[in-house]
Amino acid sequence: MATEPLKGSPHLVPAPLIGPGYDYATVTDKISSIVLTQKTPRSWIFGFAVAFFLLMVLMFAIGRLFLLGVGIWGIEIPVGWGWAIVNFVWWVGIAHAGTLISAILLLMHQEWRTSINRFAEAMTLFAVSCAGMFPLLHLGRPWMFYWLFPYPNTMKVWPQFRSPLVWDVFAVSTYATVSLMFWYVGLIPDLATIRDRSKRRVSQKIYGILAMGWRGSAAHWKRYETAYLLLAGLATPLVVSVHSVVSFDFAVGIVPGWHSTIFPPYFVAGAIYSGFAMVLTISIPVRKVYGLEDFITQRHLDNMAKILLATGLIVGYGYVMETFMAFYSGSPYDKFMIMARMTGPYMKFYWALIFCNMVVPQFLWSTRVRSNITGLWVISILVNIGMWLERYVIVVGSLARDYMPTMWYRYSGTAWDVATYVGSIGLFLTLLFLFLRYLPMISIFELRQLVPPEKRPTAPGATRATVEG
Amino acid sequence: MNSGTSLQTGLERVELRALVVGAVALLLCGIGAYSRPDEFYQSYLFAFVFWMGISIGCTEVLMLHHLVGGDWGLAIRRLLESASRTLWVMLVLFVPILVGLRHLYLWARPDEVLHSPELQQKSFYLNVPFFLVRMAVYFIVWLVYGQLLNKWSTEQDRTGAPAIMRRLQSLSGPGIVIFGLTVTFAAIDLVMSLEPHWSSTIYGMMFIVGEVLSALSFVIVIAMILAEHKPFAAVTSPKSFHDLGNLLLTFVILWAYIAVAQLIIIWSGNLQDEIPWYLRRTAGGWGNVVLILAVFHFAVPFLLLLSRDVKRKARALGAVAFGVLIMQFIDTFWLIEPALRQKQFHVSWMDFAGAIGVGGLWIAFFAWQLKKRPLIPLRDPRVEKFLLQEERA
Repeated sequence: MATEPLKGSPHLVPAPLIGPGYDYATVTDKISSIVLTQKTPRSWIFGFAVAFFLLMVLMFAIGRLFLLGVGIWGIEIPVGWGWAIVNFVWWVGIAHAGTLISAILLLMHQEWRTSINRFAEAMTLFAVSCAGMFPLLHLGRPWMFYWLFPYPNTMKVWPQFRSPLVWDVFAVSTYATVSLMFWYVGLIPDLATIRDRSKRRVSQKIYGILAMGWRGSAAHWKRYETAYLLLAGLATPLVVSVHSVVSFDFAVGIVPGWHSTIFPPYFVAGAIYSGFAMVLTISIPVRKVYGLEDFITQRHLDNMAKILLATGLIVGYGYVMETFMAFYSGSPYDKFMIMARMTGPYMKFYWALIFCNMVVPQFLWSTRVRSNITGLWVISILVNIGMWLERYVIVVGSLARDYMPTMWYRYSGTAWDVATYVGSIGLFLTLLFLFLRYLPMISIFELRQLVPPEKRPTAPGATRATVEG
Repeated sequence: MNSGTSLQTGLERVELRALVVGAVALLLCGIGAYSRPDEFYQSYLFAFVFWMGISIGCTEVLMLHHLVGGDWGLAIRRLLESASRTLWVMLVLFVPILVGLRHLYLWARPDEVLHSPELQQKSFYLNVPFFLVRMAVYFIVWLVYGQLLNKWSTEQDRTGAPAIMRRLQSLSGPGIVIFGLTVTFAAIDLVMSLEPHWSSTIYGMMFIVGEVLSALSFVIVIAMILAEHKPFAAVTSPKSFHDLGNLLLTFVILWAYIAVAQLIIIWSGNLQDEIPWYLRRTAGGWGNVVLILAVFHFAVPFLLLLSRDVKRKARALGAVAFGVLIMQFIDTFWLIEPALRQKQFHVSWMDFAGAIGVGGLWIAFFAWQLKKRPLIPLRDPRVEKFLLQEERA
């Protein structure tokens, strides 16, 4: 059959995933030196100081909340869910990119995920911590949080299983657990590398304990691969389930603007959208500061930008459907809700969100914009803002103007809302800075698999990269 | 070369038989239309939507492949292209629906609209002239896309210019967005508006996923048949079937996810505008269909497709895909007919005659298109690369 001369076409050679000239040793050196030998950059110290300050703001705000109660936030019936729930949904959404990158892209054999998965997973973990905090703080009596779990007790109180809020408890706690396991299991071989390379007794001990006796034998690797794939399989449905359950928090109720069947897929797409935006927001400065341009390459940023565009379009589709159906359905309440969004008291938020989430990402169609790093960074930040506004419009807009005009209320957050929100960013950044400083932020052993074959050692001792994952 | 010619004659035979069977079945339907027009249009709409779904779904999968690449699409590309050509047949077969608008849609009957304030409220969108304009726009968009995708692909066969690959990619990116919107609105117009008092924002997505699922299972079945012939076998490997199997699994899960999401939200809302949709689809025998769908549209294919062995064997995967295709057929029936046969589950002989009639013409056209060009886009650089890899292996 094949009478044509066969030749590799230049159009099929993708941009490299790793800069030229690297072999096994230099990859390991470059990444582990950030943890072990490099002097802590001044920008790290400055950034950590700011993040830590914000964390203290959070502590103060929470302290005050515990003393005085949720009344210090701007919530008032009918707007019982204000900034706290907006922040919850925003943070959970951000968490999703990490799991998508590490689990789904792994199962899809997308090699390019390798250099971003570690810190995307870390980001997931830290974002889930921030997210989980808000519903608990919102409880009113947060110290009774364990009432959310179904446990036999003398009060004969049992959670209402028909409520999606209870589903949330399970969804989010499962998600946090699996994400932690996945991240930690992925870290083990690299922790062993750091252990072996560190010169100081203390770090040898600490990393040694964390590495759980990893020796890198063939049996270790075999079990490791199996465990990692299984965890990826477990984590995959969680990418979808968590935010679907979060969307049920709203859609199961019959409030106009909440009760919409498209919510589950639209929330999931929105979550991945904001998650990738956050990965870009963080990875662009990090690769600059630590000189990791050879590992987090142009192609990585380009791929992430494409995913940003695709998920942004699905989110846009959600907006279009919501608006169209409000008019098509003929329901006066739905129509009123959309009109209130567009022209009511929160119209500024609405149009800002449309600009950030629907208009701005359209620039990503252009290759020029996708390869402009500053442009990409600005877009990613705008998307983060847009996704926060989207949740604000959904949560507050619908509650503030529901069926009964006598119940209408003009809500706005207080300084304590702002302090808690900004403080949660502080918590996130503090954890992130600690991670960047004390753990290998890029998976060393997985990155070695991207080293071109001619640079790989031939001795059998170090040929792990030739074993297919 | 020998098996090549036998494939050619095989396709010719399929083409002729499908054409004859289809024409006879449509003729029978024509007779049925005289005696029981309402029933005929109900059956015909179902047949049309099902086969239309495969044409559209194939075009979407084709664009997805152009956009993201991957070896999985190389073997099935010509199948998808030929299926996208059948949009021309569907355009012709759309005529009976235009004739029977009043039999099918409440909003197309002036006397109904006159007595229903709700329908009047919706008449800004649901009215006959606007419906016609919208359908014209959808068909123009779909046909133009189908035309370009096929034309450039043929050009690639002829010249082998590498730029064509990029051009197809740039066409497909926006194409998926445009199809997403047009297919959504077509689903609303053709099917959702059968129950004009009801609406659901996830509906369009549900249709898109269903159509892609029909398309995937259809091409997998065809690929299974063709994989036994020599030239086609060169571009299929256990790995390509494995990838297709994973894609099928993904869409089976997505289908179930969307179905359940809509159910949970509407069921717990329990509002009088929304819940009748499910009441109609579970009452009077329709509930059994739901059970069949839950088990055989989701549970069984889901469990089977988890197995690596099933996905890597063409025959096993083909059998699962065929099952999914049958389930898509039943699902389409369940989405459409309870709206029109509200009291009782009821199957008419014309449901089958219509589906066979439309399907016969569809398959005849498909086979005709398929044999016009080589079964493999040989000059696509990715095919070259794939063959090179296989040779090395």
